[in-house]
Amino acid sequence: MFGMPPPLPNQSMTSVSPAVGQIGAPVAGASKIDPNQIPRPIPGSSVILHETRQGNQANPPPPATSDYIVRDTGNCSPRYMRCTINQIPCTDDLLTTSGMQLALMVQPLAIPHPSEETVQVVDFGESGPVRCSRCKGYINPFMKFIDQGRRFICNFCGFTDETPREYHCNLGPDGRRRDADERPELCRGTVEFVASREYMVRDPMPAVYFFLIDVSMNAIQIGATAAACGAINQVIADLPEGPRTMVGIATFDSTIHFYNLKRALQQPLMLVVPDVQDVYTPLQTDVVVQLSECRQHLELLLESIPTMFLENRTAESAFGAATKAAFMAMKGTGGRLLVFQSVLPSIGIGALSAREAEGRTHLSAGEKEAHKLLQSADETLKAMAIEFAEYQVCVDVFITTQTYVDIASIAVIPRTTGGQVYYYYPFSAVSDPAKLYNDLRWNVTRPQGFEAVMRVRCSQGIQVLEYDGNFCKRMPTDVDLPGIDCDKTIMVTLKHDDKLKDGSECAFQCALLYTTVNGQRRIRVTTLSLPCTSILSNLFRSADLDTQFACFLKQAASEIPSRPLLLVKDRMTNLCINILLSYRKFCATVTSSGQLILPEALKLLPLYTLALIKSKGLRTDGRIDERSFWINYLSSISTPLAIPFVHPRMVAIHDLNSKEGDQSLIPPVISLSTEHVNDGGIYLLENGEDCLIYIGNSVDSDILRQLFCISSVDEIPAQFVLQQYDNPLSKKLNDLVNEIRRQRCSYLRLKLCKKGDPSGMLFFSYMIEDKSSSGLSYVEFLVHVHRQIQLKMSS
Amino acid sequence: MDFIELEAIEGLRWSWNSWPASKSEATALLVPLSVMCTPLMQSTELPILPYDPLLCSQCGAVLNPYARLDYTSRIWFCPFCYKKNPFPRSYSGIGETNLPAELFPTYSTVEYSFFNPKLNGMSSPSSSMSLTSMSMSMASSFSSTSSLSGLDSLRKVVGPAFVFVVDTCTAAEELGALKNELLLVVEQLPENALVGLVTFDSMVRVHDLGFSECSRVVLFHGEREISSEQTQKFLGLARTKQQYLGKTPVIQKQGFLLPVSECEFNITTAIEEIHSSPQVMPGHRPLRSTGTAILAALGLLEGCLVNTGSRIMVFTSGPATLGPGIVVDSDFRRAIRNHRDLINGHAPYYSKSSSFYKQVSPRLSDASIVLDLFACSLDQVGAAELKDPVERSGGFMMLVESFESSQFRKCLRHIFSRDEEGNLKMYFDATIEIVTTKDLKICGALGPCVSLHKKNNLVSNNEIGEGGTYMWKLGTLTSKTCFSFFFQVNEEHKVQPGSAFSIQFITRYRHGNMGIRKRVTTVARRWVANNSPEIAAGFDQEAAASVMARLAIQRAEDCQARDVIRWLDDTLIRFASKFGDYVQEDPSSFRLSSNFSLYPQFMYYLRRSQFIDVFNSSPDETSFFRLMLNREGVVGSLIMIQPTLLQYSFDGPPIPVLLDVRSISPDVILLFDSYFHVVIHCGSKIAQWRKLGYDKDPNHENLRKLLEAPEVDAEQLIVDRIPVPKIIKCDQHSSQARFLLAKLNPSVTQNSTYTDGSDIIFTDDLSLQVFIDHLQALAVQG
Repeated sequence: MFGMPPPLPNQSMTSVSPAVGQIGAPVAGASKIDPNQIPRPIPGSSVILHETRQGNQANPPPPATSDYIVRDTGNCSPRYMRCTINQIPCTDDLLTTSGMQLALMVQPLAIPHPSEETVQVVDFGESGPVRCSRCKGYINPFMKFIDQGRRFICNFCGFTDETPREYHCNLGPDGRRRDADERPELCRGTVEFVASREYMVRDPMPAVYFFLIDVSMNAIQIGATAAACGAINQVIADLPEGPRTMVGIATFDSTIHFYNLKRALQQPLMLVVPDVQDVYTPLQTDVVVQLSECRQHLELLLESIPTMFLENRTAESAFGAATKAAFMAMKGTGGRLLVFQSVLPSIGIGALSAREAEGRTHLSAGEKEAHKLLQSADETLKAMAIEFAEYQVCVDVFITTQTYVDIASIAVIPRTTGGQVYYYYPFSAVSDPAKLYNDLRWNVTRPQGFEAVMRVRCSQGIQVLEYDGNFCKRMPTDVDLPGIDCDKTIMVTLKHDDKLKDGSECAFQCALLYTTVNGQRRIRVTTLSLPCTSILSNLFRSADLDTQFACFLKQAASEIPSRPLLLVKDRMTNLCINILLSYRKFCATVTSSGQLILPEALKLLPLYTLALIKSKGLRTDGRIDERSFWINYLSSISTPLAIPFVHPRMVAIHDLNSKEGDQSLIPPVISLSTEHVNDGGIYLLENGEDCLIYIGNSVDSDILRQLFCISSVDEIPAQFVLQQYDNPLSKKLNDLVNEIRRQRCSYLRLKLCKKGDPSGMLFFSYMIEDKSSSGLSYVEFLVHVHRQIQLKMSS
Repeated sequence: MDFIELEAIEGLRWSWNSWPASKSEATALLVPLSVMCTPLMQSTELPILPYDPLLCSQCGAVLNPYARLDYTSRIWFCPFCYKKNPFPRSYSGIGETNLPAELFPTYSTVEYSFFNPKLNGMSSPSSSMSLTSMSMSMASSFSSTSSLSGLDSLRKVVGPAFVFVVDTCTAAEELGALKNELLLVVEQLPENALVGLVTFDSMVRVHDLGFSECSRVVLFHGEREISSEQTQKFLGLARTKQQYLGKTPVIQKQGFLLPVSECEFNITTAIEEIHSSPQVMPGHRPLRSTGTAILAALGLLEGCLVNTGSRIMVFTSGPATLGPGIVVDSDFRRAIRNHRDLINGHAPYYSKSSSFYKQVSPRLSDASIVLDLFACSLDQVGAAELKDPVERSGGFMMLVESFESSQFRKCLRHIFSRDEEGNLKMYFDATIEIVTTKDLKICGALGPCVSLHKKNNLVSNNEIGEGGTYMWKLGTLTSKTCFSFFFQVNEEHKVQPGSAFSIQFITRYRHGNMGIRKRVTTVARRWVANNSPEIAAGFDQEAAASVMARLAIQRAEDCQARDVIRWLDDTLIRFASKFGDYVQEDPSSFRLSSNFSLYPQFMYYLRRSQFIDVFNSSPDETSFFRLMLNREGVVGSLIMIQPTLLQYSFDGPPIPVLLDVRSISPDVILLFDSYFHVVIHCGSKIAQWRKLGYDKDPNHENLRKLLEAPEVDAEQLIVDRIPVPKIIKCDQHSSQARFLLAKLNPSVTQNSTYTDGSDIIFTDDLSLQVFIDHLQALAVQG
């Protein structure tokens, strides 16, 4: 299927054969490789049906990026939790030998496929869910009931517990409880328990949304304030209905302006807090109000804010102080704080300096320490963030700017509070408001939870090494998530603390205690049980490339701010090489020492690694803020979105009409190589966040007119808004974009690119397979990897 | 010599009208050489002179009728320092038959109105040069001193500024009443008056009146003591930063203090939108940050550099419970301090808060700001702590129970009343300067004023009250405000008995039309020999009593009541011993001449008045009473000390009766006036007739008339009195009668053997008769 030599029958592997004996001359070697023969991702066109367990065996999940429907037959759906390797090495040595990572990607509130069964809710009443009395693991299908069902053995700690009397049930002839199939917690990998009183330190919090908008001179002038107000105004209608929904709003420049939204007032009342060094907040009852009580006021206010500050000449922005003040206003309940920031925070607590510019002026000193600019500059913001998390305030920051705002420092707050950073650079009042609105809308409407605590438990022998994602950690075992939503993923790295028994199963359980938007306290329990193995080749066979690579990405992202870039690149390349080396050394039935042999499951690892090395975050030519954003974006990204983020998808759109018969909305994917980009074509490239549409120089003007309503390439607008015109081509493009938006849960920043323009350069910077200033070509990279393996083999 | 007639001319009451020529003799008089001065006393014959006063180049005294004139060489001799001063050209026509008004011997008081803003910038067209130079100099002075850009246009004169500080912890109905009154005030203010609005609860909100898009307020944290600079920075009044950055200084137009004409709509809306703050935790007082609110208002006025006089008017309904100036904890389990707590040191915040407010006083004085306190509450609000700045700035204090009361309404309307020309009857930013002949020295003053510490050789080292100066600052004053000034004989001068000495009072103030006025009163009295009968003949016992009352309450601020009483008694005994006519050791022979006869009575009522005996008052009330006494003229103070009692009966027209329990009778109506309370007390018979409805019976017309008469008179009594007294109508033996009984001389008590059918007062206080008996016994001991 790859047009390559067929894999050896008894091995799941792909090999590629660069020129034998030409190792010392990679350029010459490269010429011998047929670029069309090397591994590339081919998305499956049909939907995969996946049962999580079959015949009481864990079923390895389909690739994260593929389209699949899950039937939960005991193990959780891979959407909620998936492991980098679908068999667990029995020993730490085995894992080390393989060179692979052992980690879980946990996305506890992931959205299921529409055809999948929804997560079932189980109510144990006052007593709460059945748990192991020693390790507090929750009841799951892998707890083994013995002694006529009177006792059960915990699949995590091995302790034998008494079955609570009211939960007792006799066992059937197969040794399972007779009611196992009726009870979701005994037959499903994912269930949700209704939390009893003991899981609540207070009443479940209401849904509180506080909007904080930058109205400093720049924000007003670039239209960011208007865009933010417009977006909020539209989104109000999407906020959860009911008396439990509260809203508040504030604006800020060098001072902070709260608004009293009480119905009793004739017109909105602005309350200015002038002290940005030592902030305070008006009475909470005035500024955070039930939505139903203030809807009209709020709409009126949002309409008038942009004009109210039209003449604002205050350039300063007190981001830190404003965030803190807003936090204080919602401290009593907690909730979501949505900040719209447009300039560098320059005044008040947590003020930042324009260190990017400072870094440029001291270039000689800066080069070595360049990564420091990607670290947070300020401890104040970090301390604030921890306090926010403590009071269950989750902060999202929407950065709508045309300048440097020091995302590296700002991002500390959303990252610590379970929020995220949105970045609109350079902000355009024409094309960005739509995305801003859609992002905001998704932010408040997506499935989500408040005041959450999460813990992952593992079977004996394995323990959690570290959690990685957007949260606050105050206890070593738990992560605190003031906000958790369907998009947020937490990476859980694992380590051995003992040997596992070959043939046994190792279970992982993620328990997320959270409050729903409707104010119910729930525990979502996700359990995954995987077989243990002591055979190395099993590990390679069951390796999960997407998860493995997502794990790479996140590690790279967290390392970039603390190490010189070169070291990070080397480490990433070496990670790839070591895995392949291990495979080559211990598993491959070698036919020729000159062959680069790739395990089937990981055959795309070199391509992805190359993509990573060439990505924005690992290049120095990008702006500091863009790199910071890249790092932060990855910190909470889910596995299915991680791959395209560094290895974008490119399709041709000039010939959408020609493939009439094809059912799929997405045309065939094109390799990321310049040779596939013709001057006469139009190509769409998307990574889940940005969407570039490259228009070749000699595109048929008819197509241009149909798609963009322009007659020549010269008329390409700098700021693009996708519109649907009355022709089939335009409709197909719109359908395509909408399908991508749906898949990625992202509205995409659309941009038109043309040759000989910075936009064209941007487009070509994504041509990962090309040789460029940022790295080798794909073929060259394969040769490089191969040579390194050979070197290590021979040494 | 009728002192009251003299007062009508001079505006002065002298405790002694003839002064002994030696210091030792003066000290032996016991009642100090003092003058009760009402600087702006209303007078029908006051000449207003539309030009500058002529000053002595040496001592600064104003030309007056006592000056010796030399018409031929056109010079005048200053009667105080004897310096020769030439007349300026404008006095060229002066001659014996052509004297300017200030030299008329009949005009001891004249007023100069030498800066009339209405003429300002409107010089005759011929002098265009001076016009330009003047406008230029004005423009520059404005830009350097004022951030009220746009307000100080040359044609428009900026009026006085009023910052209303409103407590939003007030209950809704009360607040509604207050809002209505404020709206009325704003509606009736002159167009050029500046207004500002500050509201507070646990936060302080300074309202922006220049913002049209929505209501805008700047919020201050109630718990934090903010400096003037901080306040101005937070309000955007400071411009230093931009200058520092080298940018062109952008004068941001501030909107917190604007002329009524520019912001009438906004301030009206802002006042209308004041709402009661949400209810607090049960068992707690509302959180009030009165101190910070006052600081914010003060900082605002300081930042706007208003130099035309301004008032911070605080309307509150309870005690401050947080921030600087805290009076009591918000927890109801902590009771608000009373006098006993103050004496025992059980008032944890009292001294700290009092000293906080004392630090506010000089800032008010420097910026010519008046602080007014309108407390409408059943509880105390902390007037005791707040007294110092209110008193020293000449501000108004009112303690009533409700904003809905007519007392409050009348007071507020009175304050904002206008004269015939439509100017506010408010006189701001005043100073009083005293020039005297060299044979006496100035000791000090008691009253709502602050010493400016300006010294010359006329200033004595012996300070009484606000001393060490010949000039005092007054935030504001009314036509009734009265100061007592203290003098002593200058020992260094050989004073010739029979020679005259003069005193000149120069009161400079800003008139309601914003023009500067100077009122000059020049008077002369005579030195007399020691032990001359003229000394006793010149004794004004009423003036003396009010001076002594002021000295007593000044003492009471620092001493305990019994020490003050002891001092009063001691002074009185020695006084009686000096001026009484008696045979040694024979109390029955003791007599006082008529102009001394009432003085012991005054002292008797003073020592048992609420000014000294605080037992039945809260600290707030005591502060209020003392503040009022300290600014009231002789007549008013006497009513406060010894209330008046009128009797209405069928037997004839109303007659004054003794302030004695024996004056109570079933068939008379008593009208009692203690200045703060007016009581109409119906005898039990009359009350019964009224209950039976006889007064509505045409056959008993005379009963109706009898019932009406005291009510009409009571209305008459309170018509000019501010704050409006509380009128209490009660019947004999009713509970409300206590307001009367408490003040009556307890000549008949539960211990009396023979009551003669009179009412009795249950008390152990000594009666006037016993007091006088003791006094006589002690006085004759020598």
